[in-house]
Amino acid sequence: MKIAVLTKAIPSYESSIRVDSSGKWIDETVVNYVVNESDAYALEEALQIKESASGDSEVVVVTLGSEANTSKVIKDGLAKGADRGIFIKNESTTTDPLAISKLFADNLKSENFDLIFSGLQSDDMGSGQTGVLVGEMLDMSTATLAIETKVDGDKIKVKRELESGWFQWVTLPFPSSISIQSGINEPRYPSLKGIMGAKRKELNVLESSPESQTQSFVNLFVPTNEKVTEKIVGDTESIVAKIMDILKNKLKVI
Amino acid sequence: MLQFSFLEQIALAIFLLSGISFFLYHLLLRLKIILKGKSNFSIDELPKRLKRVFDEVILHKKVASGGRKSAGILHAFVMYGFIFFGLITINHFGMAFGLPIFNDTIRYYYFLFIGGPWAILCSLGILGLAYRRFVLKPKALGKFSSTSALVSVFIVTLMTTYFIDELHILSGASEKFNWWLHSGVIGGFLFLIPQSKHMHLVLSPFNIFLRPFQVPSHGAIPIDMEASEEELDNLLLDLSRLSKDQALDIFTCVECGRCTDVCPANRGGGILDPKYHFILDLKNPMLESGDANVVDKINVEAGWECTTCQACTEVCPVGNHVEKADEIRSFQVLAEGDVPQEYQKLLRNLQETGNTEGSSSSELLNELPVYSADKELVLWLGCFAKHAMDPNFVGSVRNFVKILDSAGVTYGVLSNEQCSGDPANKLGDKLTYQLLMDQNVEELNKVKNVTTMCPHCVVNLQKEYKKYHEIKYEVKHHTQVISELLEEGRIDINPGSLEKVTYHDPCNLSRTLDEVSAPRNAIKAAAPEFFELEESGKETLCCGAGGALWWKKDSGEGRTHLLRAEQVIESQTDTVVTGCNFCYGMMNQGIGPLTPAGQEEIKVKDVADIVADNLNN
Repeated sequence: MKIAVLTKAIPSYESSIRVDSSGKWIDETVVNYVVNESDAYALEEALQIKESASGDSEVVVVTLGSEANTSKVIKDGLAKGADRGIFIKNESTTTDPLAISKLFADNLKSENFDLIFSGLQSDDMGSGQTGVLVGEMLDMSTATLAIETKVDGDKIKVKRELESGWFQWVTLPFPSSISIQSGINEPRYPSLKGIMGAKRKELNVLESSPESQTQSFVNLFVPTNEKVTEKIVGDTESIVAKIMDILKNKLKVI
Repeated sequence: MLQFSFLEQIALAIFLLSGISFFLYHLLLRLKIILKGKSNFSIDELPKRLKRVFDEVILHKKVASGGRKSAGILHAFVMYGFIFFGLITINHFGMAFGLPIFNDTIRYYYFLFIGGPWAILCSLGILGLAYRRFVLKPKALGKFSSTSALVSVFIVTLMTTYFIDELHILSGASEKFNWWLHSGVIGGFLFLIPQSKHMHLVLSPFNIFLRPFQVPSHGAIPIDMEASEEELDNLLLDLSRLSKDQALDIFTCVECGRCTDVCPANRGGGILDPKYHFILDLKNPMLESGDANVVDKINVEAGWECTTCQACTEVCPVGNHVEKADEIRSFQVLAEGDVPQEYQKLLRNLQETGNTEGSSSSELLNELPVYSADKELVLWLGCFAKHAMDPNFVGSVRNFVKILDSAGVTYGVLSNEQCSGDPANKLGDKLTYQLLMDQNVEELNKVKNVTTMCPHCVVNLQKEYKKYHEIKYEVKHHTQVISELLEEGRIDINPGSLEKVTYHDPCNLSRTLDEVSAPRNAIKAAAPEFFELEESGKETLCCGAGGALWWKKDSGEGRTHLLRAEQVIESQTDTVVTGCNFCYGMMNQGIGPLTPAGQEEIKVKDVADIVADNLNN
């Protein structure tokens, strides 16, 4: 079984985000890039499937982005136990899911993966589309929001999280692309042997650039916080009247 | 005088030789396993080691410590009984071969002044201990011990037969029978001792002599990222191996359970039972495999519960370094890659940002003056203060700064201060630890004097880093700096805190750094109504935050993190002072919710707070 895990480098939550001089992207030099949270769960799920599978299996960690931001992501995946890495080098700052999925699909087509796992969504852009789009482009069955998986021969059973506490079991024939929800498992920590061994593992670097983009940033800004406090004074009658006026005319909630 | 036939002499010789062979076989078997441990025994500082043997073996200082005065005295009676019976025993067997070492006069006086009185005391001792074990049944001693019962019977028989012999109560065949009974019991000991906890009788003096001075004494695990596969395999093999000293500990254990009695995790309702998890669980695997590579036999879950407070090691009467959280955690993290999720987040923060909280900046760091070569002290903040893990503690840092200003001490912070690595070190992630340590040592080796309010930082900067690097600077805990400033008269304190004040000793400061007086000097200068908590000094109870447990999100059923705060409330103090930011945070978190309705909440202060509050200028 051949499993690919799509992994993204995202700015860490604790990074201080600021807009760069173009006004259309963030200043990447002050940002600390880390592995997208749900991608870590996707990798763990793939590793567990590989470990419990009979016969030869392979987990390939795949990432796309600029060299500076993604190097840690691949290293981390290999250290945790992925067998090899594919780095789709893309120095553009495109965030267009369709363009990105096209790059993944074009570069991964020849690999003929049985399974492609991706995190449910990236914690920076949060589109949640890449896994499904790649699956469609490569003519695979697709499912999103997996909270449990069971491989059964050449099929995979997936428990999907629906709304308001509902779940759904679906069975998908291979090849299949599935997006994984955070919390599905307990991701491992890279062991010393894993970290040292990662250097000796195969890493394919593929050059790419998006052909066309369907979306781009017009303007990027940090929301400003405003704190406006109005103190209402007077007797009860006039206070009530004033509050009613604010609720009705200013905030328009009643 | 009894006469022995040649046949009797042969029988006795066979009996004694088989007993001695059995004893030596088991002793050598254990010695062989001990020598398979890693790192070597150290016998540096000989006078200090001999003094320790004198204190702890001859004077029974640890055996009779704490609430165990009477049990300790009873034990001393038995031990001295055994020592004084040495000559009697040689004489006893020498007689059978016509070679007594005592003539009748010496024998008479030895009995009258030494043998007789000590036989009585020894009997009283063993009967008292038997009463304690089998009637009072303290929980720590555990299940019924058949060897202990046997030893009690043996010793009483030994003493009774001795008296019968010396007082010539019997004659003829029954006198001979009495002699053989006495001999049988002594031979019995040779068979009983090596396979039971009574081996401590032979090993504990050596174990106490050889015990490493450093507490804790875990060896360095240097990781070379360029190591070959073979070197890496050797390193991983070493992770599963106990040190020689730890291996000796296992065979010396007397199974008294004091380590479990004082363990904060155990007392808080956790599963960790250091007597078993860190010691006895490893004994059979060692004997079965004939090797010391048994770290993986330590209960993993129990290992994660340990606060690494060293209370177990401090209390051990036979000189064991009990705690093995470091060993099992290093094994889990480095060899297995198995780390609880909450700690993975912490370790990633350390790798990515150099601090435990994953913060990108620190308000406090920006507010304080930056260190330059013309200043006396580097003020090392530590993550707790730097990232306001308890926002109130920032006030304590400002108070310490106020004290330094008042004394005219110049100081500054290092803008590139990284976490000391304490949580990574304690969690067994020696790789992340080294990453932080290497950066810190490079910066710190450019300066001379460092002070910090975090005992965890002191332990690492001063003691742990030395295991890996040459250290050119000196680190003092801020309570030591304050105490010195007081002694030198550079600050003047008015004893103005008139309410009841007590002090909670942080484990890292008291047990690891051996500092119990400096904070007390400072507090007593400010607070005349100072009193001690029940468990204080080196016998302090951990606040529950040690061993990186501050970051343990799922506290589960355990109450480890509340025990000490409860004790403080029960003490009915008005103020509790501590010398560690983590203890400060734990007290603040615990005392609020635990204070009964209608009772005023106890104030939590750092030593710097109570001193700054009462500064005389």
